[in-house]
Amino acid sequence: MQAARHAPLTDVVELSVSAWFYRNRTIAGFDNPARSLYVSVRELVENSLDACEDAGVLPDITVDLERVSPKRANNRIESEPQVFRLRVQDNGIGIPRDVIPRLIGKMLSGTKFTLRQSRGTFGLGGSLALLHGQVTTQQPVEVVTGTAGATEGTRVVMRLDIEKNEPVVIEEERTIKSPDEHGTAIAFYLEGDWLRSKRKIVEYFAQTSIIVPYASLTFRAPDGRTYTYPRVFHSLPRPPREMRPHPRGIDVETLKSMVTNTRKKTLLSFMTSSFQRVGKTTASGLLRYAGFDPEMPPSQLTDEDLVGLMRAMASYNGFMIPSSDSLSPAGEELLKAGLQRLNPDFVAVSQRAPSVHEGHPFIVEVGVAYGGQLEPGMRLYRFANRIPLLYDEGSDVSTRVIRELNLKNYGLRPDDPLAFLVHICSTRVPYKTVGKEYIGDVDAVRREIQLGLMACLRRIGESVRRKHRAQRQRKREDRLLRYYTFMACILSDATGRPVSTTRLFGGA
Amino acid sequence: MAVQDSPRVNREEVLDMINHVLETLAETIEDGAFPEIGYYGSSKKNVRYLPEDGYVPLNERPSFIDGRKVESAKTIASLVYGLTRFKEHLTQGMSMSLRDFYYMHKVKHVQDVLKISDQSETNRLVNLCERILRIRGESVPREEFGVVSSPKGTFYGDVTLSDLSGKRINCSQAGEYGWFISSRPFDVVIHEMNIDAALLVEKEAMARNLIELGLAEELRVGIGALFGQPGRNMRAWAHRLADEGVPVLVLVDMSPWSLRIFTTIKANSIELANIRGLATPGARLLGLTTDDFWSKDGMLAGIEHSLERMTKSDILCAQQNKKIPAISQDPVLRRENERLLKEQRKGELEAFKAFGLPVRELRKLYIRYIREKARRLDVKLL
Repeated sequence: MQAARHAPLTDVVELSVSAWFYRNRTIAGFDNPARSLYVSVRELVENSLDACEDAGVLPDITVDLERVSPKRANNRIESEPQVFRLRVQDNGIGIPRDVIPRLIGKMLSGTKFTLRQSRGTFGLGGSLALLHGQVTTQQPVEVVTGTAGATEGTRVVMRLDIEKNEPVVIEEERTIKSPDEHGTAIAFYLEGDWLRSKRKIVEYFAQTSIIVPYASLTFRAPDGRTYTYPRVFHSLPRPPREMRPHPRGIDVETLKSMVTNTRKKTLLSFMTSSFQRVGKTTASGLLRYAGFDPEMPPSQLTDEDLVGLMRAMASYNGFMIPSSDSLSPAGEELLKAGLQRLNPDFVAVSQRAPSVHEGHPFIVEVGVAYGGQLEPGMRLYRFANRIPLLYDEGSDVSTRVIRELNLKNYGLRPDDPLAFLVHICSTRVPYKTVGKEYIGDVDAVRREIQLGLMACLRRIGESVRRKHRAQRQRKREDRLLRYYTFMACILSDATGRPVSTTRLFGGA
Repeated sequence: MAVQDSPRVNREEVLDMINHVLETLAETIEDGAFPEIGYYGSSKKNVRYLPEDGYVPLNERPSFIDGRKVESAKTIASLVYGLTRFKEHLTQGMSMSLRDFYYMHKVKHVQDVLKISDQSETNRLVNLCERILRIRGESVPREEFGVVSSPKGTFYGDVTLSDLSGKRINCSQAGEYGWFISSRPFDVVIHEMNIDAALLVEKEAMARNLIELGLAEELRVGIGALFGQPGRNMRAWAHRLADEGVPVLVLVDMSPWSLRIFTTIKANSIELANIRGLATPGARLLGLTTDDFWSKDGMLAGIEHSLERMTKSDILCAQQNKKIPAISQDPVLRRENERLLKEQRKGELEAFKAFGLPVRELRKLYIRYIREKARRLDVKLL
């Protein structure tokens, strides 16, 4: 104990951000070769989608996953991880030369006190994938990028100095390109397990194509197969707006940073300028409620004051609900187009009104597809901020809601070919675990999903009933015709004269 | 009100009727109209119970088969096919069983269209034909269009007759149980009848014992074995015997089910009320009766201990008997049923064996029992 208490300072190693994140990479899903391969593909595709959407262009993304280490002929199970080359190309705005190393090769390169819906939480996934590749293969990353209007692009080969969290450019060259071309291609090597991750990766592309039907996706797999999802929707959803945080969704540490960085001279002006939906009246009411002088300079707030103010913000009832402008829901037309990828007979979608959970706005969008090429039985597609959720379906709130639905009320049965889609978009999705693979059973969310699905099922039920009615009518007519044709034949034999059903069925 | 039996229909009349129905259907379809067929169903509203006639059809509420409906079209198609089969068999002088008729629907091209999966469907069809084919205002029994039941029931005694085989038969010389009752008893020619009564016994074992003990000869009676619930041919034979002036006595278990067996002979059934000649209103219940066991002078009081408890289904049967007109409107049967419900015990014909008598004594007991019970019913036996 004594020795531990007085450990020499030389034993204490200061970790860079990159090193810390790499050591704790399981948080982001890099916990085994199969999962790492799937997460790497996913993170880079999502970065590309973000890049295109930010630029306002319809995404056109091509992913090549190529096995580099030779396939062992006698090892059918392929239990050992192998090396792959992953190349993801998009048609985004491209990256200016100056920011390539910082953007690609350094983690946590900037923060702002604003919120908006985004696919990632930390913006680290892509970088961590590259880091994982570098650590497992010791190979550098190649970035080829070009911006619109320029006649030259840039090719950079670089690696990341993990200890210093600094990019190191190894090779760089200018490339000739057409002024119309723009976008980025990132290629790197990584260790992975295709056999065990194939199902998830293929499913990821299939589901992504549903929630981003405005993207054209191509995935060339190591086994030689190419999965292509052409664009079926030709406009982007409204982009989310950067919004100041809502007082309800803030923690003490963030509040402290905001107070430190503010230039406002009074608490009243700090409140109105730092938070959304807080005007003078609301701010005065809150400060009165919390027992602070509105004219007090924010810089004089002690740590205890900050905790008190934070608690007051959490319990004060006078706030308006957060704005949903920071969200970018898919929209009903887009969801319909996405569900049409499943080639069903009927589709019904519903976008619920914005709602709030712990100071963060959220919007639930749901859809139900029926019949057509859907397999018999119920299938659930879950999405959060336009990312497919492929793990832990059984624990998700949507699964619970669906389990409790009484399909009989809608003239449907559990073995009918049914697909349910649930999309939640929020500035903070209420994931249950750090794995971010399923949504917790939050009352407000559950209610929205339930009401949305019930509305869709009502419409689907009506369509199915109409279809069944038409089928029954057709079947009835077929049977009538069959019976009377049989009768006419027997009667012709029995009476010795031709008996025809022509007049009975009008020439049928 | 006595319902007279109408003269029997002949084969040509039935063929004409079948042809008429087929022609009408052909014309209707040719005219571009969906056929509609009316008939009188067997609901309680169409049938009345008369003590002197049994169940008689009222024919007040017709039912209709509407050819615009899919299931009705299937029925009409089956009917058309069935009628052509009957017509062919009649023309050829052939009969068919209900099972034969069912298998005729398994002809590939028929099966493909009608998809008959169960004999009950074709049985219902035969029943429907009986209701649709009507001559002189009455249903034509299926036997008249060639559908006959497998013979069920036997008759032993000094009766000489000729059945469909054309052979002259004496029923006391025709086999272990006597003569196997024809499927068309109304076509049997009776040449000679040397019996004072007909004793119809529910169980074949009892009937055989009576024959083996020579009771038919001793008492100058005919002994019929019903083999349980009497078939149409046995009912028609009982009717025929009664028509010949022979008293019909029925010997059944003392149970709610056996009351139903007796009423089937006496009054026919609601289901077949449209078929005349199946009821024998003059039939009388010889035994076993509740008085045999439970009255002071009951002939079987000595074996009262042998009675068994009625089961739940026996009790349920007795309760339902209260709603059967032929039981509830007959004072004797109603009393029997009520007594059974009250005591909740039942007796079987085999109970005679519970006396533990030597065969010679048992024979005497049988003779005494039958003679005495017949006497109480005003039937004098030798």
